[in-house]
Amino acid sequence: MRTGPRRILLGTIGLLVAAVFAFPTYWMITSALKPPIEVLSARYDLIPLSVSLDNFATAIAKPGFATYLTNSLIVTLGAVACSLVAGLLAAVPLARLRFRGRKGFVLLVLVAQLAPLEALFIPMYLLMKDLGLLNTLPSLLLVYFATTLPFTIWTLRGFVNGIPVELEEAAMVDGCGRWGAFRRVTLPLLGPGLVATSVFGFITAWNEFLYAFVFMRDSSKYTLPVWLESFQTAFGTDWSGAMAGAVLYSVPALVFFLLVQRKLVSGGTAGAVKG
Amino acid sequence: MTTVLPTVPAGDHPPAPSGGRKARSAVRRLTGERAMPYLLLAPAVLVLVAFLGWPAVQVIGISLRRLDLGALVRGEVVWVGLANYREIFADPEFWTITLRTLAFTATCVGGVMSCALLIALLMRHLPSAVRVILQVTLVLAWAMPIIASTTVFQWIFDQQYGILNKTLVKLGFESFAGHSWFGSGVSTLAVISLLIIWQAVPFVTFTLYAGLLTVPKDLYEAAGIDGARPSQVFRAVSWPALRPLITLTTFLSVLWNFKVFAQVWAIREGGPDGESTTLPVLLYLKGIADSRFGVASAVATLMVLLLVVLTARYLQLLLRTREGQA
Repeated sequence: MRTGPRRILLGTIGLLVAAVFAFPTYWMITSALKPPIEVLSARYDLIPLSVSLDNFATAIAKPGFATYLTNSLIVTLGAVACSLVAGLLAAVPLARLRFRGRKGFVLLVLVAQLAPLEALFIPMYLLMKDLGLLNTLPSLLLVYFATTLPFTIWTLRGFVNGIPVELEEAAMVDGCGRWGAFRRVTLPLLGPGLVATSVFGFITAWNEFLYAFVFMRDSSKYTLPVWLESFQTAFGTDWSGAMAGAVLYSVPALVFFLLVQRKLVSGGTAGAVKG
Repeated sequence: MTTVLPTVPAGDHPPAPSGGRKARSAVRRLTGERAMPYLLLAPAVLVLVAFLGWPAVQVIGISLRRLDLGALVRGEVVWVGLANYREIFADPEFWTITLRTLAFTATCVGGVMSCALLIALLMRHLPSAVRVILQVTLVLAWAMPIIASTTVFQWIFDQQYGILNKTLVKLGFESFAGHSWFGSGVSTLAVISLLIIWQAVPFVTFTLYAGLLTVPKDLYEAAGIDGARPSQVFRAVSWPALRPLITLTTFLSVLWNFKVFAQVWAIREGGPDGESTTLPVLLYLKGIADSRFGVASAVATLMVLLLVVLTARYLQLLLRTREGQA
């Protein structure tokens, strides 16, 4: 900090670390922009010689892509919407009211948050089979709903706690009912919290691979992660196509992430144990 | 809603703007006030119990049964006690896979925590422009969906056209031309660990950096005036602020890395020859590929038990404080 050389040294190290972390993203994008022939050449090609959007056009035009994108959007947005509604309904009494069984519920949410979902897919699979939902989008929607619900409740509870109850009381003194006070005062203030929480849920569901892989037997029911994983075998070594697919699949997550990155950190570690 | 309702004590509730709203809130207060929290919690409880609680109980039940596709179709329930567990324990492969999973988890957690700590400490000393660049690249790595980054890593490590081999050859390491990074289990798992560390470091770094930012600047200045060496400053000033966050993120890393499936499966499906198979992959192979649900559920139960043992100390802390807060 104080001396020049030290500052330059640290700055250089910082840039090197940044390069390491940026490289895979850089490599994904440039490979997606290269014509397939250039990707599979022995030439050393750290910097692309020519740039074209053909791979994206090919990926989008592939018969399945629109279906997989729609499938992914349905299960992800559906699950996020459901868990926001159920999560908000649960978060408000948890933050505002005292009632019997409250501690028990908090414990349930906490344990559910830690549940190793990867270990539960056999009973889930059998459950969905019994319900006749295997190989259908609702099966995934339900699983993602349940998966995202615990942290939705937990983070929303934090956001509701952050809004002074006096504001609601003031509104009630001014003649609002409890519901009116909530709708006119608390709900608008909760806006950013709802956005941050839903992005968190979106990323989780958008990313999920195991359940989508196990539940969906028909290739027409695949979600984007399963589709992308099957790229390699399905199209041989079409790396430029796979990279274009990877870019298209990453864009929504990337945009959402950049929007709420700061909130994700505070939400993720809310209630960290001290000691 | 124009029904006349029992009068509300004036001091308790001033006149509402509309009769309807007043009526509804009055009704709620008389009949629903006590039931309301439970009604509001009901959907969440229902979903959590049906899709997390019930499967968790089921997995133990199924692990005590002989359940394959035939039994499933016929609807048989055959209890076999601990036979599934005995079968797993008798299989030397299981012990190899368990040890491998533990070593893999330890590598990933160790790698993530040490890289993240170093980067977080470095970040505090960077000129702000460099810091912003570094933060943006970290967010990019963090944001890339798991299967997308897995695909990219496969491409980087591609035997023939991968940029890594090309670079190594360019640097004079001719023997890496056509080197297969996925030729052995250890090498495959090493690539998977790199992938996981690359993707997990950002979250931990940001968390630790946020912790460092909470330390008042005067403490560092005071330490500087007292002539403390960097290591002493770290021990006396930074460490106390970081410790709870390090405990938390280590716990989360153990939890996440122990049960990684997507990356391991997508890279080589546990190959070559099952050499990169970890417990979650074994669970998938026994359960879905072989349709031996009973045996697979026993594996799942053991996995959870092992995870509980690994994180017991922290779970204890966590439950105690959370209950205290609640």
